[in-house]
Amino acid sequence: MDENNKTKELRGLYKHIKISVSALNKIIIGLCALLIIVLVMAVSNRGFTVTFDSTGGTAAAPQKLMYGDLIEEFDPPTREGYTFAGWYLDENLTIPWDMNNDTVTSSMTLYAEWSENNPSAE
Amino acid sequence: MSNQPEKAKAESFKSLSTKDKERKIADLLLNNAMYIIILLAIIYIAIQRPAFLGLSSIVNVISLTAAKLPIALGIGGCIVLTGTDISAGRVVGLSACISASLLTTVFKVFPNMTSAPPIIAVLLLVMVVGAAIGFVNGFSVAEFKLHPFIVTLSTQLITYGIILMYLMHGTNNGQTLSGLTQSYRDFVTKTLFTVGGVAIPRYVLYAIILTIFMWIVWNKTTFGKNMFAVGSNEEAANVSGVNVSKTIIMVFMLAGIMYAITGFFDGARIASANANTGLNYECDAIAACVIGGVSFVGGIGRISGIVIGVLLLQIIFAGLNFLSVDANMLYIIKGLIILIACAIDMRKYLVRK
Amino acid sequence: MENSDVLLRMEGISKSFPGVKALDDVSLTVKAGTVHALMGENGAGKSTLMKCLFGVYAKDEGHIYLEGNEVDFKTSKEALENGVAMVHQELNQALKRNVMDNMWLGRFPKISKYIPLTSESKMYDATKKVFDDLEIDVDPKRIMSTMPVSQRQMVEIAKAVSFNSKVIVFDEPTSSLTEEEVEHLFKIINMLRDRGCGIIYISHKMEEILRISDEVTIMRDGKWIATRPASELTMNEIIRLMVGRELTNRYPEKDNVVGEPILEVKNLTAMYSKLRDVSFSAKKGEVLGVAGLDGSGRTELLENIFGIATRKEGEIYLHGNRIKNRSAKESLANKFAMLTEERRATGIFAIRDIQANTTISSLPRYKNGPFLSEKKLTDATKWGIDAMRTKTPSQKTQIRSLSGGNQQKVILARWLLTEPEILLLDEPTRGIDVGAKYEIYQLILNLAKEGKSVIMVSSEMPELLGVCDRILVMSGGRLAGEVDAKTTTQEEIMTLAAKYA
Repeated sequence: MDENNKTKELRGLYKHIKISVSALNKIIIGLCALLIIVLVMAVSNRGFTVTFDSTGGTAAAPQKLMYGDLIEEFDPPTREGYTFAGWYLDENLTIPWDMNNDTVTSSMTLYAEWSENNPSAE
Repeated sequence: MSNQPEKAKAESFKSLSTKDKERKIADLLLNNAMYIIILLAIIYIAIQRPAFLGLSSIVNVISLTAAKLPIALGIGGCIVLTGTDISAGRVVGLSACISASLLTTVFKVFPNMTSAPPIIAVLLLVMVVGAAIGFVNGFSVAEFKLHPFIVTLSTQLITYGIILMYLMHGTNNGQTLSGLTQSYRDFVTKTLFTVGGVAIPRYVLYAIILTIFMWIVWNKTTFGKNMFAVGSNEEAANVSGVNVSKTIIMVFMLAGIMYAITGFFDGARIASANANTGLNYECDAIAACVIGGVSFVGGIGRISGIVIGVLLLQIIFAGLNFLSVDANMLYIIKGLIILIACAIDMRKYLVRK
Repeated sequence: MENSDVLLRMEGISKSFPGVKALDDVSLTVKAGTVHALMGENGAGKSTLMKCLFGVYAKDEGHIYLEGNEVDFKTSKEALENGVAMVHQELNQALKRNVMDNMWLGRFPKISKYIPLTSESKMYDATKKVFDDLEIDVDPKRIMSTMPVSQRQMVEIAKAVSFNSKVIVFDEPTSSLTEEEVEHLFKIINMLRDRGCGIIYISHKMEEILRISDEVTIMRDGKWIATRPASELTMNEIIRLMVGRELTNRYPEKDNVVGEPILEVKNLTAMYSKLRDVSFSAKKGEVLGVAGLDGSGRTELLENIFGIATRKEGEIYLHGNRIKNRSAKESLANKFAMLTEERRATGIFAIRDIQANTTISSLPRYKNGPFLSEKKLTDATKWGIDAMRTKTPSQKTQIRSLSGGNQQKVILARWLLTEPEILLLDEPTRGIDVGAKYEIYQLILNLAKEGKSVIMVSSEMPELLGVCDRILVMSGGRLAGEVDAKTTTQEEIMTLAAKYA
């Protein structure tokens, strides 16, 4: 029960930890180095991928874009018996994507909306 | 060590030998390694994309911080009790789904409803739901002495199941809830005031109010002092006449209420809610708390630390987003940040050589 | 210049922690074939000095020489391999394993050089040999947890010897031993001394020190005070050097006035311990001692009264009114207070500051409306520090940085702020140094003088005789008798303590 025992009582999630400060220092330095490497990798490999789900139509090529870019114009996909009606942010086709004004802020997938050419045929 | 007045620290520093000074500086660098890296990253981002320090970007970070703050304030209390709460994100999701299903113009979950109930009533309802889940967490931790991780893991799963079933109710078929009423959206996101043409939404004000409320609870009430006591030594708290069970249950209930409020705001902020709303929010919140100095040793933490933690995380994420870093990479970065924060926190409370 | 029989020389050792100079130019010389006692109050720096020797702390300045060669151990393992061993006060052993596993942990003998499997028989023989050498009668295959503490300590000593240690440090080795076991320990220490080992012996017990040691080094406040041959020292001289002033009386004058009975305990029986059928009463202004052997139910008695252990039967009356005391909170409301035995486990909030530690039990008193008032908290803490004469840099200092005695004063202050009528004190002076003990006695007697009723458990008989008015003697969970502290003797108490044991 001397004055020095008191520093040793780690509680909570750190209970029973037996690691020396010097080892921990090395771990911290190592992890920091790793974090920096990952950050550098992330930055050198940057760019958001926008993929297009044409939901049954012809495939559209994914694009790699930067923050704040507009999606590059390309010919809309085609589907037999349907007319292309626009791109949407969600599968339920509730949030439309405006190719001329909306800018990319993250990786995402756009979904195509189709309108049937002659609904009365069935 | 953390409680020593700064002045005394500075004076004692002067009197140290060179060897000691070197050690002190090394200590300082290591204990603040995380902040240093984040600062360097911010400087780099600012150089690459000067717009990052622009007004709209700053307001964006502040708004994001405000949105994520209540959940972190809730989880902070659980960490002070040497625990954690991983059900938080799902509670946020449930709260967002309930809010979005009721305060809407298209009643898919409840097809028989015709008009939205009062906003306050819905807010109170989700707070009650959050408190109820918090009660289950707290009661299990306090009375069965289960580890909070296990308890909240199970409530996390149960809550997720409830969300999925809730979204299947009525004619909704598990779809994303949208078409929220304008009054609900206004209540949360209406412009408070504009700074240089950039709007600051109302929920920033709410976050500030919640922060002040939590600061008072933590520092100026018997409950807050009891919480810290239980966190630092449960046995001693019991002997000292603290109702340990009640304190633990209340901390978890308060946390649940905070998650519910986060969810209520999130519904309106994102303008929709689905089964994935709130996913992984608890990770960000726990990371923010640990970065902000809420220690897993228990009994240590400050509200100001949590605010700084959330802010730093949001800055780094917004910055990386600005640099067009993919979200996949962000997960790895988040994980590393938590690991480093824990290692540094541990270091602070280990025996000094 | 180098004396040939000097084994270990520590010279000019200094060590600072943030804000404290824990060691200031301390020197220690241990000669071969001697027992060197290291004495000082808690916080004098004995443990820090030893931790610098074993590399637990890095020393700031100074040199350590082992047999004339400078050494600087980085870990206690390195020290052990170089012949410097320590027998710890708190044993760190693998209790589920047997004796020889513990002896050879981390260096199990192999069957042969080429077969990397541990050899049970080699291990058994080697263990047996060391035990025979030291006349220790323990089966090497016995499981540690089935053995009494004293025997486990013997194993620890044998382990140190098995490393061929030249210097062995004993840190308070007798604190958990009986008289007989202490004799055996001394026999072993003498044997080691005769073999030419250098022994560093840390203890608070002066009788022991004067009996066993050849030289005594006394430390105070991190400084070296004196090194003298034990034969030239007397107990009072040691105390004077340790405390830095004369301590004429070990106990303060008793001038409390015993009044009417206020607490009545009837047929108290515990649910989960062997405490049964205890009845007694405590009077206003009285210090009531509770004596007994370890495990006689002393602590359980207090815990049951205070409601932190479950009662099976029994009634408690305060001022003639039946009270329940089902939890600490309820007892607190009934004006009870309890200082627990395990200060670190159930007393202090180590990482919280003095203020939080002082005010935790009486928080509702410091409210302004629904909120706590910083000023009231500060005032209450200030009162606590002043009234107890606690030595602390500030109210915001973490309690773990205080010495044991000062921590105890903070906890006492915590309870006094609840304005209790009945104080239950379990080993109030355990792990506290001589000077601080006197102050605690003074505080206890002052409380009695103010009309509070104090019930005090202690395993130190002289302390009970010096401070109490009446003494209850517990034995085997039952009340063996009640004696008057003024007229009783230690023998009478011991006889009663053995009654149902």
